Amino acid sequence: MKKLLKYISPLAPDDSGACSVLYEMGGITVICDAGGCAGNVCGFDEPRWFEKRSALFSAGLRDMDAILGRDDLLVKKLAKITQQIDAPFTAIVGTPVPAVIATDLKAIERMAMKKTALPCIALGTDGTGLYDHGEEMAYYRLFEMFATEKLDVKKGKLGVIGATPLNTGETDSVRIKETLDKSGFEKIVCFGMDSSLEEVIKASECERLLVIAPSGIKAAKLMNERFGTPFDAGYPDDSRGVLLPGDDAVKCTCGLKGSRVLIIHQQFYANALREKYERLAGCDVTVGSFFMMDKDYMREGDIRFRDEDDLAKAAASGKYDIICADKRFSRVLKGFDIKHFPLQHFAVSGTLNRDI
Amino acid sequence: MRDAYYITARELAENGCEHLPEELDSSKHMIYSSPATLDFNSPGAKGFGVKRAGLVIPESVMLLIAPGCCGRNTALLSDLGYDERFFYLCLDDTDIVTGRYVNKIPEACKELLEELDYTPSVIMLCVTCVDALLGTDMERVCRACYELTGVKAAPAYMYALTREKRLPPMGLVRKSIYSLLEAQKRRSNECNILGFFSALDDKNELYSLLSSAGIKKIHEIGRCKTFEEYKELSRANFSIVLNSEARAAAQDMQERLGIPFIELTRMYRLDKIHNQYRLLGQAIGASLDDSAYYESAKKKIDDFKARYGAVTFAVGESLNADSFELSLALCEYGFRVAEIYGTVGERNFVFVKKLAEISPDTRIYSNLSPTMMNYTPAKEIQAAIGADACYYHSGIAGAAFNSEAQVFGYRGAEVLFDELSEAIDKKGGVS
Repeated sequence: MKKLLKYISPLAPDDSGACSVLYEMGGITVICDAGGCAGNVCGFDEPRWFEKRSALFSAGLRDMDAILGRDDLLVKKLAKITQQIDAPFTAIVGTPVPAVIATDLKAIERMAMKKTALPCIALGTDGTGLYDHGEEMAYYRLFEMFATEKLDVKKGKLGVIGATPLNTGETDSVRIKETLDKSGFEKIVCFGMDSSLEEVIKASECERLLVIAPSGIKAAKLMNERFGTPFDAGYPDDSRGVLLPGDDAVKCTCGLKGSRVLIIHQQFYANALREKYERLAGCDVTVGSFFMMDKDYMREGDIRFRDEDDLAKAAASGKYDIICADKRFSRVLKGFDIKHFPLQHFAVSGTLNRDI
Repeated sequence: MRDAYYITARELAENGCEHLPEELDSSKHMIYSSPATLDFNSPGAKGFGVKRAGLVIPESVMLLIAPGCCGRNTALLSDLGYDERFFYLCLDDTDIVTGRYVNKIPEACKELLEELDYTPSVIMLCVTCVDALLGTDMERVCRACYELTGVKAAPAYMYALTREKRLPPMGLVRKSIYSLLEAQKRRSNECNILGFFSALDDKNELYSLLSSAGIKKIHEIGRCKTFEEYKELSRANFSIVLNSEARAAAQDMQERLGIPFIELTRMYRLDKIHNQYRLLGQAIGASLDDSAYYESAKKKIDDFKARYGAVTFAVGESLNADSFELSLALCEYGFRVAEIYGTVGERNFVFVKKLAEISPDTRIYSNLSPTMMNYTPAKEIQAAIGADACYYHSGIAGAAFNSEAQVFGYRGAEVLFDELSEAIDKKGGVS
């Protein structure tokens, strides 16, 4: 049966992705839920929750709020918070509750702006989509709303879009910047990771943009159209061809020589690892993902998995000797005549690079 | 930026329960998912939330029927060995609007059973806010699943939307987990302990006291290893309810199985504990001699005070106690409670009033207030009690006092002061 998961637990949802992008922007983010979704975000999908403070709240909806559609109460509560916490904007993140009762998030956005006199972004996530979908929405709306001024381009400034724990397994930008330092850029900004809304406002200063996950492409295209800022899609990779520290599958190519490999991760990470395996070990590599696969960066034969059955079919196809994928997939891959190299992805297992 | 909101015990008592300040009323403000109190937010998050609680029935499996976001944190339970007992029917956006998935649930049950090399005792069908809003008739769905598979199904309602209702999710799930019991001949020398999903700690005096009253077998769901053991719960002569969230389950057992129940409260004031055991004895027709336990607990507290002095505490709510009753007990023992992070309601306002008499300046915070983002720890506090208080006061001695092995009665007081002594000694004494 489609959508019946027997071996894996659900992957990071869209509301988590939206919150991940907004987390360090300095705004007030309200998850429009009864509490459970906020618990999932703060307690699981947002590892920075225990390291960096963020004004992230649950709307604390109750059944009568949903039944009676008390949008005015939500806006009133939001306005109250803006008097308690200084913030340059507010954001409302959708969940299954507003989706079921068909809340008009656009209307709430307008009501909130009027009531608080602050910009507001309402994101129509509903908890059924995947994290990258929520990230894409959040990046796009942020750049659309705030990166409006054309500033002088600063030579040597690189803007990175897509740096979230869900994409990278990192909770800060240190390792990303360390790796990119060797690429010749003098100033590197990871939007939303160790940087706030201020950098989004100044985004047109960037000489180039590097998009490290498909969720950032739409925002990068907007910047390209608006300011002519060129962008590349890729993943931080230093001159030695070593990607950000990861599992054994990343650190070492021993035993891979000439193998047929299937790499499963977010597309741009997997693409970068593919290039490394091809270059260093002469592997025949296919990329697969449960998340967005941008056609412009796909090769023929790359796979977009819809559910765990698709992965089982790929494992049974006989096309691969090795599958590099998160340890959480081990129960799906068990019993097939293939080697499983663990390759952590926070959006799958919630494992950070530092925890390996 | 506003400082964390608090109100003193005196002010709160003077205002009365019906005039709680907005910051202490979670329906009047956004909810801060403080790292200290994450388990508030999700009925499925930490410890025994609805999901884990639903699987307390031996040999059961769970099908979570929900959008992916509701099951995301279930990965946390993998480390506890639940991987092979969880299945998910993920809903898409059309599903949650039309409710079309409801008809697929029996088929999903059939398919998951094919994956198992054993027949589970029950399939727990865990549903979320989506079904709360759609009004899904889960009793009917459970019957349809049983008709198709021959395996019983029971609902586990993870309805965060109904958290403040008369029967909240954690009350409903307690009712569900005892719902598979069937009437059988009762035995006069057996009883149940209801209230927790894990068992009382082995040294709890309640076991000895009941034994002295002639009870030969005490059933607790947390000790059941097999479904056969679970079924024995319905032969108890009576049940003792140690947590009010299990009251609905006990009432259901009384109506369906004829098992009456007695409700006790977890307290930390020794005289109240003694009085409660006296009343329990009267109810079951036995005289319970708790003097040795009373003396032992009293000595433990006296020794602690002699060693560390009149310590100033911060008391949280992520712990095995009612924050206000425990704070009252500590003040009555001669300690000081400077701050409480708790949820005030009708149920515990009586303790607030008493606390206001002996410790009027105690500051009361709500963990859920957005202003807690700006909380800064007060220097006067020497030790913290509760996982949340320990989070706020990470630099000083702290006892989380929230173990899964449940404490009760005198034993609870002893464990608390043991944990506090250990924590203080680890820090080299009180600051």
